[in-house]
Amino acid sequence: MTRILTIEDDAVTAKEIVAELSSHGLDVDWVDNGREGLVRAVSGGYDLITLDRMLPEVDGLAIVTTLRALGIATPILMISALSDVDERVRGLRAGGDDYLSKPFASDEMAARVEVLLRRRNPVTESETVLRVSDLELNLISREASRGEQPLNLLPTEYKLLEFMMRNSGQIITRMMIFEEVWGYHFDPGTNLIDVHIGRLRKKIDPPGVTPLIRTVRGSGYVIAEPL
Amino acid sequence: MSLLNPSKGWRSSSSRLLALYSFLFVAWSGILLGVLYWEVTSYLGNLARHSLMQRQHLFARFEGDQLVDALATSMTFDMRAVDAYGLFDENQKPLYGPIHRFPAGLPMDGQIHELATCVDSDDPNLPRDSCDAVAAPTRDGRWLVLVRDNGSLFAVTTLILHALFWGISLTIIPGAAGWHLLRRRPLRRIRSIQASAEAIVAGDLAGRLPVSNRRDELDMLAVIVNAMLDRIEKLMNEVKGVCDNIAHDLRTPLTRLRAQLYRIQQQSPEDSQQATQMGQVIAEADTLMARFRGLLRISELEDHQRRSGFVQLDPRPLLQELHDFYLPLAEEGGVSLHLQMDPELPQLIGDRALLFEALANLLSNSIKFTPPGGKVILGAFADYDSTRIEVQDSGPGIPSEEREAVFQRFYRCEDGAQKSGFGLGLSIVAAIVNLHGFKLQIGTSPNGGASLILECRQAIELG
Repeated sequence: MTRILTIEDDAVTAKEIVAELSSHGLDVDWVDNGREGLVRAVSGGYDLITLDRMLPEVDGLAIVTTLRALGIATPILMISALSDVDERVRGLRAGGDDYLSKPFASDEMAARVEVLLRRRNPVTESETVLRVSDLELNLISREASRGEQPLNLLPTEYKLLEFMMRNSGQIITRMMIFEEVWGYHFDPGTNLIDVHIGRLRKKIDPPGVTPLIRTVRGSGYVIAEPL
Repeated sequence: MSLLNPSKGWRSSSSRLLALYSFLFVAWSGILLGVLYWEVTSYLGNLARHSLMQRQHLFARFEGDQLVDALATSMTFDMRAVDAYGLFDENQKPLYGPIHRFPAGLPMDGQIHELATCVDSDDPNLPRDSCDAVAAPTRDGRWLVLVRDNGSLFAVTTLILHALFWGISLTIIPGAAGWHLLRRRPLRRIRSIQASAEAIVAGDLAGRLPVSNRRDELDMLAVIVNAMLDRIEKLMNEVKGVCDNIAHDLRTPLTRLRAQLYRIQQQSPEDSQQATQMGQVIAEADTLMARFRGLLRISELEDHQRRSGFVQLDPRPLLQELHDFYLPLAEEGGVSLHLQMDPELPQLIGDRALLFEALANLLSNSIKFTPPGGKVILGAFADYDSTRIEVQDSGPGIPSEEREAVFQRFYRCEDGAQKSGFGLGLSIVAAIVNLHGFKLQIGTSPNGGASLILECRQAIELG
């Protein structure tokens, strides 16, 4: 079973993180201070750590730095009350894998955890063709096809589809899509990402074919084998 | 916003002071020399009359040939042609002396009179202009006319007038030169004060007015203003600190709220009425969080120190990316989106992500408010020393009286109330524009809608 370590000093927030991740079938341990968190993270065997940036005793940034210095590559999702750009850059530079600022939605957090867990799976790294049902994406020739039908994708559509297919079966939030595909970290308005997904959908899920992209209400999108 | 331009000319305080000083000096010199003139002329006049009277008394003692000899002797000592005499008989016929005609208008009363034209004669040795004259009877019944030129008075007058003229000229010329020199230095200092003040107005609250070590009035003023700025900065930091603390304290409850709502929704049976309601509540909570993030973002951007992400960048790919990003949204709304750029654009200094965010906000607004069938143009053109990035649309436009207000937090055009939007977008744009030191102009587009022109400073080419 996948084990998660949550280092978070606010008990209520921690409880919600634990509840949300548990509902995704993950085994979550919670620690409420930095020192103990660091000890657990080092002695570990955890598959992922959610780490509050500001903690009593040992600071979140210090924990990341220490872990990376020790050669521990466990994926880390940093959760911070410090939202500004510099802080985000600092967190990622220190070795954090993703950065989420408070206030956050727990489904957003869970989606990011799932994607991080998936990302460390080495099998997907070496794949040259991504497949979801009869949808294929060739990572070498950068060509996509549905069934026997080749798809004509724009560069951003390709990036979007690749991101979704690499995380097939996972819920992907709009914020994650915007960050991953366009590389920006502000709120562009929910509508905009929906429009881009809508375009992609028209190409890969034409009428008469079983749709592969599903909207998860309130959260985001998922591309998966039809049920 | 720019401060009042310091006047180059006479309006400066030193110019006014110097002008007043020069005027007083000239007036005083005039009075002084006038008094001097009056005193000297009256003294010399008295002296001349006195000596004429003495001569008259002297010659009154003689008569007959003795008088003629005495007159002739006295003339040999008068080398300057100051004195002259004439001896006339009782019928005013000339008998003796250089004056051959009895001076017209001279009363025969033995008193000294001043004559405007003295002696009608061609003799160069005789006084011709104004003079003092006396006609007195001699003991033997003849008339003796004595004349004394008061030309020395005239010379004194000329002398004094010359002195006055030179005095005033020499006051005015160095005065003007001094004025020119004197007004320059305070003006230079005013300019440096103005430069500092403009930086402060532009948002650099840590800036202070320069204080020299002269401790003059300008320094006193600068010190007073600086003390005021210290206080303002302190108060603003306190307010900002309070706001930041409130914002920080709100993060955790908002996170908890959203998480618990979400859990209740997850626990309620799918498609139940409760789950639907919870979905709506969660959507509201998300809106709340988005606005909250927007506010935090603005306060972060308004802190002018955040320039760590500044790089030199080519605006063309940035605009291309923006165009591609917004094209689907525009097409969805039936709006045509065009990209127009100069083939070459100078590099800009800025934070790429922030510029993208600012322009995205502008584009997003333009597309949102342009009705179907309309047109939005994203353009970039290089001017001589700045680059204009424009967003022009054919929407309803922004009324001129609302142009300032649209950058206030949560502002939204009256008739746009039904359109969704956070109302913080333009405040974020304003904050980003300020951070970059760019200028944003709102106007009317040639297409009839709003025109938003971002004037960007170009990167200075090195080497």
